[in-house]
Amino acid sequence: MLSPYLLLLLVPSPPLAAFLMLGLDPFFLRRRAVQVLALLGGVAPFFVMLPLAAVCFGGECHGVVPVFTLAFGQSEVALALLLDPMSTLVGLTVAAVGAMVITYAIDYMSDAGVADLRRFFALMNLFLAAMLTMVLAGDTITFFFGWELMGLCSFFLIAYNTGLPQAVAAGRKAFIITRFADAFLLAGLLLLFLEANSVRLDVLIPAGATMTEDRHLVIALLLLAGALGKSAQVPFHTWLPSAMAGPTPVSALLHSATMVAAGAFMLARFSPIVMSEPLVQAIAAAFGVGTAAFGALSAIFQTDVKRLLAYSSISQIGFMVLAVGLGAPEVAIGHFVVHAMFKSLLFLAAGDITHGSDLGTSMKAMRGAARRRPVAYVAYVAGAASLAGVPFITAGWWSKEAVLSAAWNTGPFGIAIWALAFLTAICTAVYAFRPVLEALLPEPEHRSRAPHGHPLALNLHHRARIGSGFITVPLVVLATGSMLGGVMVAPIISFLGAEVPHAPHLPALLAAMAPFAGLIGAAALTFVPSLAAAVEGAHDMRRPTRLDHKFQIWVIEPYIRLIRWLSRDRRPRDADLDFERQVRLIRWLSRGARMDGVYQALVVRPFVNLVRWLSGHRGGGVDPVGSAPVALALRLTQAVVGPLAHDRFDRFWMRSANRLVRIWVMARAIQTGRSRDYALGLALGTAALLVIAWGTTWN
Amino acid sequence: MNAATLSILLLLSAGLFATGFFGLLARRAILFQLISLELMLAGPALGFIAGGAYHGGQTGQAMFVLILILAAAEVALGLALYLALRRVADVEDADTITRLRH
Repeated sequence: MLSPYLLLLLVPSPPLAAFLMLGLDPFFLRRRAVQVLALLGGVAPFFVMLPLAAVCFGGECHGVVPVFTLAFGQSEVALALLLDPMSTLVGLTVAAVGAMVITYAIDYMSDAGVADLRRFFALMNLFLAAMLTMVLAGDTITFFFGWELMGLCSFFLIAYNTGLPQAVAAGRKAFIITRFADAFLLAGLLLLFLEANSVRLDVLIPAGATMTEDRHLVIALLLLAGALGKSAQVPFHTWLPSAMAGPTPVSALLHSATMVAAGAFMLARFSPIVMSEPLVQAIAAAFGVGTAAFGALSAIFQTDVKRLLAYSSISQIGFMVLAVGLGAPEVAIGHFVVHAMFKSLLFLAAGDITHGSDLGTSMKAMRGAARRRPVAYVAYVAGAASLAGVPFITAGWWSKEAVLSAAWNTGPFGIAIWALAFLTAICTAVYAFRPVLEALLPEPEHRSRAPHGHPLALNLHHRARIGSGFITVPLVVLATGSMLGGVMVAPIISFLGAEVPHAPHLPALLAAMAPFAGLIGAAALTFVPSLAAAVEGAHDMRRPTRLDHKFQIWVIEPYIRLIRWLSRDRRPRDADLDFERQVRLIRWLSRGARMDGVYQALVVRPFVNLVRWLSGHRGGGVDPVGSAPVALALRLTQAVVGPLAHDRFDRFWMRSANRLVRIWVMARAIQTGRSRDYALGLALGTAALLVIAWGTTWN
Repeated sequence: MNAATLSILLLLSAGLFATGFFGLLARRAILFQLISLELMLAGPALGFIAGGAYHGGQTGQAMFVLILILAAAEVALGLALYLALRRVADVEDADTITRLRH
């Protein structure tokens, strides 16, 4: 009898088939055909996942579909797909969000040419297929395959606008940083394989969790490093804000359900291994809450909506990593599901509002949104409320509350984490509501007043107030999910086999107040002109502004006086220095801690200089490596022979040193550059090695 | 399989390898060099299969699978380079592209 789990194979296949059809294009598809194919490939996985999820929720939830098995002595290489509670929930979320984003992209990308459209949708479908493959993988090889394929797709999609140098650079940056972290994951998975002699997750993970050797710590650390890189956590976070160079649907998919969230999913998947190592668990919690706080603080000072949302993703994924670090991976998955819905919603709504605006995606482009695009604006408000965690009525509150309660219940160490997470929640509400309130402001002058011609004709890129169904349906569906999804959080966590953590009343009440405190902060940042101007100018702040002076006089100065009075410090002090420090801090935060500059100075520039030097581009010789021994020999001979008297004997030695130069020139002549010569050289060398091997083993 | 069949097969595989190698050195067209490389890979593959069958083990087949994957990857890379060279420099002759040594 055919097992119902065979349907699993059909989940990633439609987008994969759509990728092949669109990528190879054997039938010279027209525009409409490209759109239909892309839509079919993007939506089909959701309808395949539905009956599977029904079977799983019905109680029979452990299905393995073997794909390919190769036994090797004690080890086995068995590729398989796996259906268990975690993969069902995440797979369903990914399929749903993917379907919504691709539906939205049909309308959003309708301005592109046919060739670009084909490339875009082929890659989007492959991206979705890769994530679904990774989520449903039953072994580490399939898992890693999907993981890497996603990295490749994100590179192509971020660099989709191949004409823009910064888009290509952003794609390259994302690829290199995530590949760097992937190397850790690969090493961890290989060590696990050596330990368990199997690549199947249902064998590998228990074997890894019960291990006792020192290698266990190394494996857990490697897995954590891989997750941090993929999820853009500190210190790997720099690639995510730059990745905004891609089109908005790409960002929506990249940030919500795929790529960035993949790291958190991987940690939750391998959580038994991480959780059996308290040290790694503590490191994960520290990195998670640190990244959450840092991302939220940086997001407040952004002037671009998409960059703000990027820092928000960094911060929210930090919450998931924190949940895993606290020993509650089920809570992390609950937050994953809710975050996927509201984050894709925020991106899609912001993209719709700012689409075609001559201000790009800057915060100013949001202005007047309530009048221009009412549906998108209402959807954005729903998403922002969920992100901020407005109590009871939004899904975001339920999942964030679960993370905070898990922190509170961990003990004294946990209460410190809770306090930091609570402050982060306030910051989250501040940046979440900033674009919402910004949209209430009137539009900038040059847009509402047309310079010449009919005002209606020049106004607002000729778009209807209500978008087509392709835009509206995803927005409405995701907005409903972001509001009502809260009722699913508790069932999700208990379905994964854990209890919903509950904190005492006081911390729960405090956490419920966080969004309102944040709303006040956001209102201050938007409507108080001097504050708004300060945030506006923070990004390229070179000199202290007037606001800084005020801040200095009213806040910093009394504080410093208080401290000095308390510590009875009577020495004279340098006021300018303190002031400069505060300006520097805001600038530092608005640019994501300047980690880019650190990487540039520590890694990129030395590497580029090395390559330049080796290729004789600047300052270097023709062939520095080859000529080094020659130069060394010349220097040595001169040093030894030079001081001595010049008789015939010395001249002979000097000549031999000079001969070395000629030998070097001759040696360089061997490098003809012709592949046939190299092939001959390779063959002769191998033959010589074989002869030597034969000679030495002769008996 | 007896020893005589094995030695015939091994000779055949050595011959395949030598043919491919000669082709690689003698031909200058990139496409023919790629074909010769495929022949060179087919020789050892046959050798592994013959050896595996003679000893009755699975290792020979496993090595054959490995060579198959290697050959597929090699030909994909080679053809991609060939197409890129055709487009960028309109090159057919492998001996004319020597600037990479600089």
